[in-house]
Amino acid sequence: MDIIIYGTTEFSYLVAARLHQQHNITILHDGGELSERFNNLDVSIVEGSGSDISVLDNIEARKADLFIACSVLDEANIVACWTVKKIADTETICFISKASLYKNFSSITHNHYQTRYDIDSIIWPEQLLTQDIFRIISVPEALDVEYLAGGKAKLFEYRIKAESTIVDKPIKDCNFPANVLIPGITREGKLFVPSGSTTIRLNDKVFFIGSGAALDVLAADFFKHDRKVKSVSIVGGGAVGFMLAEKLERTGIKVKIIEHNIQRCAFLADSLKKALVLQGNGTDLELLESESIAAADVCVCTTDNDEKNLLCSLLIKQMGTKRIITRVGNIQNYGLFEHVGIDVVVSPKASALTEVLNRVQTHSVDVVALLEGGKGEVLRLTLPKTFKEMRIKELDMPFNAIIGVIVRGYKVIIPNGESLLLPQDRLQIFAMKEDSEAIKNFFFA
Amino acid sequence: MKTPFISSALGIILLAFGGIILLPAAVAVIDHDYRSTTPFLIASCTSFAFGLICRWHGRFCRNFDTMRRTEGLLIVTLTWIVAAAIGAIPYVFFGLNPLDAYFEAVSGFTTTGATILIDFSLYPKSFFFWRSLSQWLGGMGIIVLFVAILPQFGVAGRKIFFAEAPGPTEEKITPRIAHTAKALWLIYLLLTLLEIVCLTAAGMPLFDAVCNSFSTMAAGGFSPHPQSIMGYQSSAITWIVTIFMFLSGANFALQYKLFLRGKSRPLFTNDEFQFYLGIVVVSSLFLSIILYSLQGGTAANSIRDGLFQIVSIITTTGFSSVDFALWTVAAQTTLFAMMYVGACAGSAGGGIKVVRILFAFKFLKREIDQIVHPRAILPIKIDRVTVQDDVQRQMLSFLLFYICLMIGSGLVVTMIEQDALIGFVGTAATIGNIGPGFGEIGPMGTFGNLHPLTKAIFILDMIVGRLELIPFLAMLCPEFWTFSRNDQR
Repeated sequence: MDIIIYGTTEFSYLVAARLHQQHNITILHDGGELSERFNNLDVSIVEGSGSDISVLDNIEARKADLFIACSVLDEANIVACWTVKKIADTETICFISKASLYKNFSSITHNHYQTRYDIDSIIWPEQLLTQDIFRIISVPEALDVEYLAGGKAKLFEYRIKAESTIVDKPIKDCNFPANVLIPGITREGKLFVPSGSTTIRLNDKVFFIGSGAALDVLAADFFKHDRKVKSVSIVGGGAVGFMLAEKLERTGIKVKIIEHNIQRCAFLADSLKKALVLQGNGTDLELLESESIAAADVCVCTTDNDEKNLLCSLLIKQMGTKRIITRVGNIQNYGLFEHVGIDVVVSPKASALTEVLNRVQTHSVDVVALLEGGKGEVLRLTLPKTFKEMRIKELDMPFNAIIGVIVRGYKVIIPNGESLLLPQDRLQIFAMKEDSEAIKNFFFA
Repeated sequence: MKTPFISSALGIILLAFGGIILLPAAVAVIDHDYRSTTPFLIASCTSFAFGLICRWHGRFCRNFDTMRRTEGLLIVTLTWIVAAAIGAIPYVFFGLNPLDAYFEAVSGFTTTGATILIDFSLYPKSFFFWRSLSQWLGGMGIIVLFVAILPQFGVAGRKIFFAEAPGPTEEKITPRIAHTAKALWLIYLLLTLLEIVCLTAAGMPLFDAVCNSFSTMAAGGFSPHPQSIMGYQSSAITWIVTIFMFLSGANFALQYKLFLRGKSRPLFTNDEFQFYLGIVVVSSLFLSIILYSLQGGTAANSIRDGLFQIVSIITTTGFSSVDFALWTVAAQTTLFAMMYVGACAGSAGGGIKVVRILFAFKFLKREIDQIVHPRAILPIKIDRVTVQDDVQRQMLSFLLFYICLMIGSGLVVTMIEQDALIGFVGTAATIGNIGPGFGEIGPMGTFGNLHPLTKAIFILDMIVGRLELIPFLAMLCPEFWTFSRNDQR
């Protein structure tokens, strides 16, 4: 696949780093310092602007399959996508960082005069992040939540606590409800695919895949799940904080939001209906205590400063919050955050990366979800027509992966070893990132 | 301040007004009561004569584009004072003394509805028609009318338009002010016609239907019947009048959107309207219960009279379906509380206005919340939009001035009349443009027996209340009164 990436931002690097070994990537660099990291990638870097039609002609944009515009400037991204459409009907992905622009392009109601210059997909990382955080908050106790097969199956991540009845038991002795699988466990920062004899330890983070009903039973039996989330504290009233507060408010959850910029506070107070907007610093211990921020069911730290987020999260965690969700800007800090004990680490870049990978993967394989900061992923693939019918246990996979969900027609099956695989079944597979290429080869070779 | 502007603008208004005052004369002609035409013809001639003198003094200036805000305020105030003076001329010819005549005219134009008449049988139909017509003109606002029908004002129309109705928000339904004024008068006219039809259908004589409709839509309260709506002894009429009084107390700009453009959202999602509806429902229920339990009478009558009287007082109309001066103190106090609320902004009614009361409540709630959360940013929102600081300040100072004026006037009148009930209820009823109070000045009583000084104070209260204090307050500033005849600035 020929991919052109316009812009040399950190995100361009992440996409290029992820894809450069399987795809032909050209990066357009329009002035400024070029980060040293790009030189470690097997890509071609061309000087020029994405909105310059001659530059695009030079790099043969007409032959490209995908054009990703993720330079710093929103307007430049939009113009670049339009310019590409003038040359050829290439799929375009445009990155946006302003709410107003995002609304312009994603509005369904204002779509009367659609032209062929329209951008195919608009990605606003912070909006995707908001959706992710919202989904995680909506299930109490779970650390991470992903919806699979259109929500018919779900993936939850739980931390095993000391009072849990399944500590130090092998998985096969745990009596989990039927239709629930454990595709992965993170222990001391390492993700692995367990087998039936793997023992669950204290402080493990365990993934469960299952149908919605079965997971509810699981949650009721093994994790305290009776409390509904009623209140959320948000530190940082940027785009993510604001949108999250708006979404939560609509579902009737009480929201407190701390923001230090007084003008932004005024904006938040104007735009939000019921949320309590507090002016102050997220690391101001007195404020956190007097407004009992940690007493909320979930606390979310979403300022745009990693250090501040971390400090603030640790403060709140130490004050005894039940769940803390922290935003990380720099992907390299992801592991660090997990290491010091933040429950859920989220990143706008990871959210956006999932979205981009969804469009890039070939062979009708795409990534539904990235887990643990990209260490694991849930892949979606459709078995080819030539696939020979067989049982899962007969499938001799040379790697560690778990088929979590089989979608056959309108039916969603949570499989076990005896389940049959038929041609044209759609599978959702939980796998390590490094195995994803092997999985493709295995099923499509 | 430039005198040519003021006298010229006033001249134009007087000339137009001279034409309007011929309408009751026409009624007298239809009634074959030719003698009653004279007072109106004389008033009309006076208006024309003064109009021409003012125009001449103002050098027939036609361009008001450079009008200042202070000039606009003065023109509006003078218009009301002078229009009432011209409107009082016919009353003098029907045998009232000049102060009483002026009181009656001001009470009419400001849609107060307080009357000095004692015996209604002495006067012809054209007299009662003029009383009701003056209310109808004053209800939507004389200035709004002239901005709508006279093209001369142009840009200046905007300034005098908002000087007359200085509600907390400037609301225009159309981009051009003359069109807005026309739209407001259109919906006002249509509702009035509708009420005339309804009342006639319910069995009221046509003449009474016209006069009562004029007074209802204006939230005025003058009725050609000495016993007000009670005199017609009909439940149907009472209910019809209740409905139209309620509408007259709601924002006309929003009603225009509802009735003529078919958009119901702006009215029903309006915070002020919801609050208005809430107050009316809750307090009339409360009043009905009091009436039923303490006053005796059937449940249906208690509900009818409770609702009618609450709507009548809150919209500052002042009609009565029973003599509420005879009710128990609990019921009267409920009504008295309504006197302080008043109608919605942008309606025909007067008073403090529902939106300011709503704001005051939200302001107090914010102060309480701030004690618990000292670091919280708590904006005050009306209609989902934050109220700006300057508007907040303006509304609070309005409330403060209103209270000061109320206490001041109330104390002085109490001293003159030796009666606190007349002093305070009378002041509330006149500043709020409501009309009848309790006791001697109740719905079946009269203001005619009061001391002349009291009448003068009440006249001032009515005009100041109708113009919502701001022009009056501006006039207290000495710099307001610097005049020049110079055309250049």
